[in-house]
Amino acid sequence: MAISLGDVRGDLRAAHDGAIEALSSPGTWWTGAQRNELARTAIMAFVEREPVAPWVGVSSVAGKLPAQLTAPKIAHDAIYRIVRHAATLTREWYDKVSAEIEPLAFIELCGIACSVAAISAFRRALGLPSLELAPVKSGDPSRTKPENIVAAKLNWVPVVGPADQEAAVVQAFTAVPDTNRVIWSMADAQYIPDKEMVDPNWTRGTLSRVQMELVATRVSQQRECFY
Amino acid sequence: MLSWSGVEQGVKVDLGAIREANSGVDVQFANELLEFATAATELDEKSLDAKREKLVRAAGTAFTVDAAAVVANFEMMTRLADSSGASMPDELAAQRLSAAKAMGVDQVVSRRYPQTLPSSGTTRSVK
Repeated sequence: MAISLGDVRGDLRAAHDGAIEALSSPGTWWTGAQRNELARTAIMAFVEREPVAPWVGVSSVAGKLPAQLTAPKIAHDAIYRIVRHAATLTREWYDKVSAEIEPLAFIELCGIACSVAAISAFRRALGLPSLELAPVKSGDPSRTKPENIVAAKLNWVPVVGPADQEAAVVQAFTAVPDTNRVIWSMADAQYIPDKEMVDPNWTRGTLSRVQMELVATRVSQQRECFY
Repeated sequence: MLSWSGVEQGVKVDLGAIREANSGVDVQFANELLEFATAATELDEKSLDAKREKLVRAAGTAFTVDAAAVVANFEMMTRLADSSGASMPDELAAQRLSAAKAMGVDQVVSRRYPQTLPSSGTTRSVK
């Protein structure tokens, strides 16, 4: 009773395909080559049976990363830890990383981690072929910076103001709109469309809302996520 | 969200039982879903294959695909929350503390509220 990609809803496949293409395309602060390279480190972090410990940078372990990197080592260290040890992240860690990586570039890096985690988890759960990255697209990052980026009380990262008017997870990536769009288009297809969130009876005709929340609760508990 | 949707649909929810991966929700396929979600977040491929097969047999392929999509979403959202330092306003976090205790996540690093909420132990920290 094997499941194939053909069994996946069209909107979900489209959301994942869009995210996969974005992983190898120029972003807002990282080039396509850098994004692709960081995504490879994220995939490694997700699948490794013997992971690097949270307090060890993956770049310091011989043979883990290519000898020639286009993204800084600390970016690789950060994305590895986000993907594999997210529950260990602290404000002190963020301050250290963001002292070396500009905060908006850090947000985009988080978005790469989120895309890889979602697609890899989906495929593993269904026994589908592992995530394969698309060929790198050339071009420069857009460096598009929204106006009115402000500090938030409910997040470490800066957000588009006014801050803290929405839930922390909703405002988290607003300072990098392209990243925000990719992540929420996946969320709409994987979970519940944003406009339906308030309806406890909404369903696609498969899982009920309670069944969805049962799965969501178990995954969040497994990942030690208080939020 | 689980407690809220359960109340809205008149479904009994026991968060402590969910913590132990022992159902805890009086809803169809609860055991199969919980076993699948647990296996999908661990690295035992044989167990995952078995739990997926069990869910497919019980609820069908489309249902299993959508369950995997929810797993994927919360593998994504937990990283989004933890990497962006997402926290709740203190009053909301206080409201949810009992649920967090029932789920065993009241002392995790991602709690981020040691200054205002009652604590029953030492928060683990990895710098």
